[in-house]
Amino acid sequence: MTETVPSHGFARAPGSHRSQVEVEVTHGIGLHARPSVAFTRLAKSFPCTVEVAVDGSGEWLNGKSIVKIIGARIRRGTRLRIRAEGSRAEEAVAALSELVRRDFDEERRIGRTDGRADGRPA
Amino acid sequence: MAAPRDLRGSPASPGRALGPVHRAEERSVPLPGAPGEGDARAALAAAVTVAVAELGELSARSDAESAGILDFQIELLLDGELTAPAFARIGRGEAAALAWAGAMNAHIDTLATDGDAFALRAADLADLKNRVLDALAGRTRADFPQGAVYVGRDMPPSAFLAHDWSAGGAIALTAGSAASHVALLARSRGVPMVVGLGALPAEPGDTALVDGTQGVVRLHPEERLDAPPAHLVAGADRAPAARLGAGGRYAGETGAAETGPVRLFANIDTLADLDALDPAGVAGVGLVRTEFLLSDAAEALNEERHLACYRRIVERLGGRPATLRMLDLGGDKAMPGLVEGDPASVLGARGVRFLLAHPDLARIQARALIRAAALGPVNVLLPMVTLPAELAAMARLFDEEAARLARRGVPARRPPLGIMVEVPAAALTLDLFGAAAFFSVGTNDLMQYLAAAARDNPAVAHLYAGAEAAMFRLLDQIAVAARALGRPVSVCGDLAGDPAAVGRLVALGLRDLSMAPARLGAVRAAIEGLGEGSGEGAPG
Repeated sequence: MTETVPSHGFARAPGSHRSQVEVEVTHGIGLHARPSVAFTRLAKSFPCTVEVAVDGSGEWLNGKSIVKIIGARIRRGTRLRIRAEGSRAEEAVAALSELVRRDFDEERRIGRTDGRADGRPA
Repeated sequence: MAAPRDLRGSPASPGRALGPVHRAEERSVPLPGAPGEGDARAALAAAVTVAVAELGELSARSDAESAGILDFQIELLLDGELTAPAFARIGRGEAAALAWAGAMNAHIDTLATDGDAFALRAADLADLKNRVLDALAGRTRADFPQGAVYVGRDMPPSAFLAHDWSAGGAIALTAGSAASHVALLARSRGVPMVVGLGALPAEPGDTALVDGTQGVVRLHPEERLDAPPAHLVAGADRAPAARLGAGGRYAGETGAAETGPVRLFANIDTLADLDALDPAGVAGVGLVRTEFLLSDAAEALNEERHLACYRRIVERLGGRPATLRMLDLGGDKAMPGLVEGDPASVLGARGVRFLLAHPDLARIQARALIRAAALGPVNVLLPMVTLPAELAAMARLFDEEAARLARRGVPARRPPLGIMVEVPAAALTLDLFGAAAFFSVGTNDLMQYLAAAARDNPAVAHLYAGAEAAMFRLLDQIAVAARALGRPVSVCGDLAGDPAAVGRLVALGLRDLSMAPARLGAVRAAIEGLGEGSGEGAPG
């Protein structure tokens, strides 16, 4: 299970409503068409800013932009950092990281009981 | 019953046809003047909204798999990051369709650099690009019934080209001009046309007889006749398609010993022109007006669409050369979303000037032309060249695109570039254009610029026609300069297809003439006549 951890330079301060998580993409191809739709639609449902960074990159991309998400070429095995700031930031980060762990609710919805522990490879 | 009534206008395309009146919606005529930035923004925003709605409807009735793809496209369109570059380009003065296509091409190039699953998404972007361009174009050009007489103030060439004239029909315009593009198209397709009728009190469904030879429209002709004579039935007396090659010699080459061989080429405005052409009857195609082959901005910005047209032409010619002209937009040639009809742009950003100002568009067409040149003998003609620097800039662009295609392993050949000689400044300094592979004299525009008389303005039509003497003096200079450079020179435009002018052209040493297919027979006959009589027309 991926831990929700405060990151360097983005530490959670009391009342500031910031949150950050790192999660590995385990979905078959990565964030291609449908997963990126699911991700950005969910991100847009929160009033806070949502940003993502790929494989330790210092470049933070708008997580509500499908153009940016597709352009980031987020493949299987990518370590994805998700951060949010503003109202309901923690909730947004939790929901989005869960979506990544659930392989974007896209495939094998029935066969999810495949022995893997909720998205993390053995 | 209404009494018959004759209305007099000016002849614009010969022949007679009878049919029910179709009145064009007057508001479908594009307003003159380029739209402002606000209009272009609103147009693009509205087109995106239309595209999103279309995709939403499609998605709602699709299976889960398809809906997933459509939802992806919807999300892309709703993403401000996708549309922002297009709006930025509009802010820099670009028209809506061009701004959108250019911005989308940049997105596509970024995404398509690797051959992975993400590169496949470039196809979605291309799809979206075309869908929004379709929405921008409106796709609302309502066609009219076959065999009808089109009645309106003027007729956009796109409406003419979208219509199936095979069942006859005619054109009666209350304004318009015999020198307009639609008149040129009507003559080349044998569609009778009368212009300058003023008020035309015809209701939809009334019967009208259009006599394009006399320049007369007769309303309710049936009231004078028990039944229309067979030869007045729509389309019955239209000129038969030119058929050459009856003689024993090579049909594309005709002429007399005194004047040397004259080679006749065809001008192609539509793929129907191409289909009606007997390639054995011509030396090749001397002018393809690409802007007429492509009906709207969506097509003009589609490399594959260009290539498909050029491929048809090259294959049909079976080894004979084709001279393909790059898009000649601006002036009186509008293409909604790319360039609006603007009388001021007759002396403004048109032809090669417009292409160089919009290199995205030029590169799309250049790639298609370079790919077409790999299929057969293709020459490329640049419209409205004024200075050698314009030719040099376009040559660089072709070199760059040829190199890009070669790197990608796409079959390609960099075609020779020639120039239209239709700006007096270029005509008078032809010796400075040694970098051109060939010249083609566009007599219609050259005459217009020599006389400073717009060809579609009836008020100055007599000046346009009267500039012929100046025209022939300049043609003499052009022929001499081209010979000195060792470059071939041909004449396209209405003068080349005028039997009365052919003798004078040949006397100047102009041996390659390109004309509407319907004119080939008459010109060929005129040239045969040169050999029999004195034949030597004196330069004017």
